[in-house]
Amino acid sequence: MFRSTDTIVALATPMGASAIAVVRASGPDCTALAAAIFGPTPLPPRLACHTDYRDLKGLILDDVLVTFFKGPHSYTGEDLLEISSHGNPFISQLILNDILARGFRAAEPGEFTRRAFLSGRMDLSQAEAVMDLIYARSERALAAANQQLRGSLGRHLGKLTENLLRVLAHVEAYIDFPDEDLPPEDRHFAQEELASVLRGTERLLATHHYGELLREGIKTVIIGEPNVGKSSLLNRLVGYDRALVSTEPGTTRDFIEERLILGPHCLRLIDTAGLNSSPAVIEKLGIEKTVERAAEADLILWVLDATLPCPTLPTSIMPRLNSANTLVLLNKHDLLADHPPTAKPPEGLPALPLSALTGEGFETLATTIIQHAEAFRLDRGEDVIAINSRHADALRRAREGLITAQTKLINQGPVELLSSDLRSALDAFGEIAGKIDNERMLDHLFAAFCIGK
Amino acid sequence: MGASTLLLTGNIDTIAQMSCNPAIGGQAKGQMVREIDALGGEMGINTDLTGIQFRLLNESKGPAVQSPRAQCDKKAYQFRLKHTLELQSNLQVFQATVTELVFTGQKVTGVRTNLDIEFSGVTVVVTTGTFLRGLMHIGQNKNEGGRLGDFSSKTLSASLIKAGVKLHRLKTGTPPRLLGRSLNFSKMEEQRGDASPTLFAFHDTRDPAGLFHVEQNGEQYIGWQPGSHQVSCWMTHTTPETAQLVRDNLHKSAMYSGEIEGVGPRYCPSIEDKFVRFADKPRHLLFLEPEGRSTNEYYVNGLSTSLPFDIQLEMVHSIPGLENAQLLRPAYAVEYDFAPPTQLYPSLESRKVENLFFAGQINGTSGYEEAASQGLIAGVNAVHKVRREEPLIIGRHEAYIGVLIDDLVTKGTNEPYRMFTSRAEYRLLFNHGSAELRLLHHAKAHSLVSSTRLARIEEKKRQTDYWITFFETHKAPAGQGTLGDVIRSSTMGGGAMPEFPVEFSSQSEALRQEVMYRVGYQGYLAREQRQIKKLSQIEKIKIPPSIDFMQVRGLRKECAIKLSATKPYTLGQASRISGVNPSDISILMVLIEASRGGAKR
Ligand SMILES: Cc1cc2nc3c(=O)[nH]c(=O)nc-3n(C[C@H](O)[C@H](O)[C@H](O)COP(=O)(O)OP(=O)(O)OC[C@H]3O[C@@H](n4cnc5c(N)ncnc54)[C@H](O)[C@@H]3O)c2cc1C
Ligand SMILES: Nc1nc2c(ncn2[C@@H]2O[C@H](COP(=O)(O)OP(=O)(O)OP(=O)(O)O)[C@@H](O)[C@H]2O)c(=O)[nH]1
Ligand SMILES: [Mg+2]
Repeated sequence: MFRSTDTIVALATPMGASAIAVVRASGPDCTALAAAIFGPTPLPPRLACHTDYRDLKGLILDDVLVTFFKGPHSYTGEDLLEISSHGNPFISQLILNDILARGFRAAEPGEFTRRAFLSGRMDLSQAEAVMDLIYARSERALAAANQQLRGSLGRHLGKLTENLLRVLAHVEAYIDFPDEDLPPEDRHFAQEELASVLRGTERLLATHHYGELLREGIKTVIIGEPNVGKSSLLNRLVGYDRALVSTEPGTTRDFIEERLILGPHCLRLIDTAGLNSSPAVIEKLGIEKTVERAAEADLILWVLDATLPCPTLPTSIMPRLNSANTLVLLNKHDLLADHPPTAKPPEGLPALPLSALTGEGFETLATTIIQHAEAFRLDRGEDVIAINSRHADALRRAREGLITAQTKLINQGPVELLSSDLRSALDAFGEIAGKIDNERMLDHLFAAFCIGK
Repeated sequence: MGASTLLLTGNIDTIAQMSCNPAIGGQAKGQMVREIDALGGEMGINTDLTGIQFRLLNESKGPAVQSPRAQCDKKAYQFRLKHTLELQSNLQVFQATVTELVFTGQKVTGVRTNLDIEFSGVTVVVTTGTFLRGLMHIGQNKNEGGRLGDFSSKTLSASLIKAGVKLHRLKTGTPPRLLGRSLNFSKMEEQRGDASPTLFAFHDTRDPAGLFHVEQNGEQYIGWQPGSHQVSCWMTHTTPETAQLVRDNLHKSAMYSGEIEGVGPRYCPSIEDKFVRFADKPRHLLFLEPEGRSTNEYYVNGLSTSLPFDIQLEMVHSIPGLENAQLLRPAYAVEYDFAPPTQLYPSLESRKVENLFFAGQINGTSGYEEAASQGLIAGVNAVHKVRREEPLIIGRHEAYIGVLIDDLVTKGTNEPYRMFTSRAEYRLLFNHGSAELRLLHHAKAHSLVSSTRLARIEEKKRQTDYWITFFETHKAPAGQGTLGDVIRSSTMGGGAMPEFPVEFSSQSEALRQEVMYRVGYQGYLAREQRQIKKLSQIEKIKIPPSIDFMQVRGLRKECAIKLSATKPYTLGQASRISGVNPSDISILMVLIEASRGGAKR
């Protein structure tokens, strides 16, 4: 029978898909974890307790519902702790990060499922279903991770890893080949190189803090003819008069950007200058910019005046529109007075009637936007989010190793311990982008030094 | 272990003959020799009793990376070990060349020799070193043989191939040997041994009965102490003239003219390699090392080459102190067959042929210590196989021997594999002094040391643990914290050691050092122990050999192919195969548990 030796933690609910978010920990140290966060009074099993969550620094992050399940009467069959916080993704991330900072381990893809299975001992057919589940989960997690690794994270991490390997090779050479005719040890080189690896790690950590989407938001661009009510829409969505609204067409000349939290999602809402089919020179510039913005958009809200025939959009925009990235909004619905709208949007694009003046149709609009936004997240489900926090967790550990190594380099500390710190950083990098074979260090070593008598 | 064993060798007089430099130990290798000693092997004691110079490498660094190294009297080393074998009960030594293996089905059942004598055995261990189709190169000159003056084993390769064992070529080389009285040592720098030598064997627990040695010139049998009367080595260097000679004649080198197809080691480059790959390095250090007390032969460490003899001679003469040197034996490179070790189980048994074991250089390693480690493990496991017992498998977290074998069978090698301390994930735990304590449970479980020695090791472990606990639990008199805290701050940042109880000070130095190390480096050692613990679960889970990875639901194809090729023995080993990721391990874990649960029903 397998017995887990460590305690794992992950978000158990898809990021903010519900009103609450659940962080779940499983393993032998759950009682200790609960005591550390919620105080020494033991939690009664299977009873939700309402209490404050205090992080390592003693700050209250949220008031949460916490439930302790004593193994084997739990999902995983081990001691298990469920912490439900408010659905705001920032809060659940903060909680997760806090638990990781307390030395607990982010779950591997499929690990909860695996533990659940292993404690239950099922037959082969059930096992196969579980294996399929693990596979599916990890594939999705992998897809998300690979996407990031193919991008700038992968490139940066690759460079940092190479540089770190070079430092390590320099340190190792003097450990493994003390009898060789090596040049005097160049700690200065190692110091500089290490400092740059540390800077790089910190930069990565900063850019990847809560995930790009969370920080940046889903880029949502409002387009349409002048005077159709684009700015009014923005104002209604954000809840106050952010943009100037007037009866004159051409009121908005530049972008107006506002952040909007809709359910679990963060939107970057951008109001643009109206797309005039016969523009004046000054308007032309604005229109070009609007076209550019629309090209970068994750989601396009195309506003029509329901009382007017549907205009044609510039050819640079029209082909980009599809049902996944565009919502057509038939505005000024209040003016129709039960007549069918004059505007007929192109086939295949979802359209919603609404009124920015009265607020009619806005609830449907919100749920529709959320549905669309869901499609943008690759990272749905427990495991994927764990990967993101795993990256940050790993990078933080790498940083820790690098900082201790740096101190040792400066203080001329014991070289084998210096190497141990560097290796801990390297292992942490490896957790993100794949294990780093020691051969790669040796490649650097033999390339840099003439070894062998 | 008491198994009835036959040792066949092409030449009894070359048992334990060191083909290259008669030096034992050095970085990582020194630790391995101590591990071999802890498992009842002979290498340590043989080195101690035939060593002529002892040095502790990395003395200025921490205990984990300090390694003993010794220069041995080549012939004394060889003859003492031969004598050890002669005295070994249940062992029959016989001189004959094996020409082929005898198979019955997919099992090996014996060997055939050049004397037309056939031997049968339940298990067979192949340790042919560099002899399988050995081909030596000196420039364009080629000679067959595993080593200068030795034979080449030609038919055995065919026999292995026939049985389905794949063979590839590797290459290694050795420098020239010079006549000592033709050298001018006044132009060289002397390198002496350590005043107080670090020995390899655990003399504190060993039975003194093993302490015989072969008489050597100028030595008294009685009263001879390991490490006394050491000899010196000498340092010199190449000159611009040497470099020029090498460059001008590169095309004549067997290595550079394409004569050699085998791959040589990066860490042991020929002088050609050094001048080519590190062209901006003006000179290379060379060491003159005596080959024994009763010979005037010197080994030129650093001058390995496959250039023709006339160039070798000129090259040697271009070196300070060697202007008038006489060459006794030329440098040469040797190419040989090896059997890629990924064809082995971690027990070192062949996956292709049952009951057939491989050990030593034939597995792609280079070095005496690497060979001895494998010989020990293969030997023990060949006996276990006969008796249908569980094999001895040493984990990566326990010893360099574990790292060595796991690397070989999991990753294989494409150059002659040599141990480095950096190959070990848990190097800090592998300080040479702790080998006996680390491997105690294996020595005990497999009856590898005498019961009296075992009792002494257990007592040593008890004492060590007692004192560690003592320091960690007793408060320091002066200030805050435990005695352990004071020891740590003294180890890491200087400052005084606490006053020790007399009962501690009267313990052996080895024991005190071990305790001080474990307490002083506690934080770092604990970190490695935590990592080990984290992985311990999957290390223990054996993968049933019957699993067909290609049929496992949910395994990615790429991963299934890799697993099928390596056939890992445990989930831990599987996790070290590149391209196998944690979710694949999860899937295997579920499958294994399910099939076990099913079997119970
Ligand atoms: C030229 C040369 C240079 C080397 N250089 C280095 C170096 O620079 N650094 C380093 O670390 N190591 C070096 N080595 C490696 C080191 O010598 C070996 O790794 C080590 O000795 C291997 O031990 P072994 O027991 O596997 O084989 P060996 O020591 O080679 O012993 C093989 C034994 O098998 C016997 N044998 C072979 N075939 C048969 C047969 N068919 N029937 C019966 N008996 C047989 C032989 O007689 C021999 O006794 C070198 C070796 C050579 C030959
Ligand atoms: N009746 C009615 N009037 C609306 C509605 N939405 C906007 N309007 C009016 O339409 C006029 C133009 O609104 P804006 O929001 O400035 O339109 P815009 O699309 O931003 O125009 P430009 O910035 O000039 O391109 C204003 O007078 C609004 O009050 C609506 O739903 N119903
Ligand atoms: Mg506007």
